[in-house]
Amino acid sequence: MTGAVPLLSERDRLEARKLIESEGLRFETDADDIVGLYEGERLVATGSRAGYVLKMLAIAPSQQGGDALGELVTLLMQRGMDAGHETFFVYTRPEHAPSFERLNFRLLVTHGMAALLEIGLGIREYLDTHRALVRPGRNGAIVVNANPFTLGHLHLAETAARRVDHLYLFVVREDRSVFPFAARLRLAREATAHLPNVLVLETSRYAVSAGTFPSYFLKRLDDAALLQMQFDVRLFGSVLAPPFSVRARFVGDEPYCATTQIPRLAHGGAAISASRVRECLGRGDLDRVASWVPPATMAFLRSPAADAIMRCLAGAGEG
Amino acid sequence: MQIRRKATAGTSQSSDLMVVVEPSDTLQIEIESTVKKQYEHLIRARIQEPLGRLGVTAARIRVNDRGALDYAIDARVETALRRAAEE
Repeated sequence: MTGAVPLLSERDRLEARKLIESEGLRFETDADDIVGLYEGERLVATGSRAGYVLKMLAIAPSQQGGDALGELVTLLMQRGMDAGHETFFVYTRPEHAPSFERLNFRLLVTHGMAALLEIGLGIREYLDTHRALVRPGRNGAIVVNANPFTLGHLHLAETAARRVDHLYLFVVREDRSVFPFAARLRLAREATAHLPNVLVLETSRYAVSAGTFPSYFLKRLDDAALLQMQFDVRLFGSVLAPPFSVRARFVGDEPYCATTQIPRLAHGGAAISASRVRECLGRGDLDRVASWVPPATMAFLRSPAADAIMRCLAGAGEG
Repeated sequence: MQIRRKATAGTSQSSDLMVVVEPSDTLQIEIESTVKKQYEHLIRARIQEPLGRLGVTAARIRVNDRGALDYAIDARVETALRRAAEE
């Protein structure tokens, strides 16, 4: 058996897909990189990387228990570091977590059918860069995408801030939203600047959205959405909550468990939500939006910086 | 020796280690190892040797070890340092 190699041709990738599926996993098409391990002409192990997430690691029964996993992970990490990543995640079934721990991966959370481990700079780096924001006390937290920040978010922050010593407002870092992360973070900061006990910070990799949660190892796809939500809550509880002394996580009234719910702020008989804001912006109805968002968001929407976003929303409305 | 850029050496395979060297103002050594509890001090001492030999006083060195022997540690660290010092 020679070392792991990148799989580049259609034929090699088809072989990888067969191996992945024969191991009871689902093939997902979003990989940036697929590598494999050959024994003679036969592909005996494969693994993929999508951004900083290693996935679809499949090893033929004949190679299991050997060091095929170490070889795959080595090449995936080397190529991932070349692509600029310093930390890597792997989602796997809980029974496979020890195989990754033997490679020095750290277990972040395990829940139901899924376990998440990381290797590299990881959470320590995150905590090092956010150490200045650590406050003692009975603290609370909100996690928002804020796409964009509305009066609903502000109401949630104000209500929650009254009940705790310090309120951490985490803005989801992941850029899968119309409003880019930098703008979402800045508008959250500006809108809550008058609240002295509110600290705004980012989630880094430690908030899992439906977009990043891989489902390739799940037997049934319809379990994925619920598992992702529960998993995200657990991840927050085990990784982000303890260092910031967060005792309570507040959410708008959605069917969550283990959280404190606060009724949504309504205007004109309907709850304010960021998706309604985007819908309105898509129709070009900026005046209506003015009664749903704080001044900071409004100023941003009227600025040239928001032109591209407005065009994108308008396009989505037509399509 | 001056560390000019980020470089790596080694693998995540059993009995090997992966070394990442980056420029830094101070000397920082971070060790992850499957045998950290028993041997961290010995691994650290072994990393110091090529550092001393090559005269490296400022760098961030991250080591991900899977039970490598002394000479493997020495060779991997030296390789990563030399790569990181290239113009």
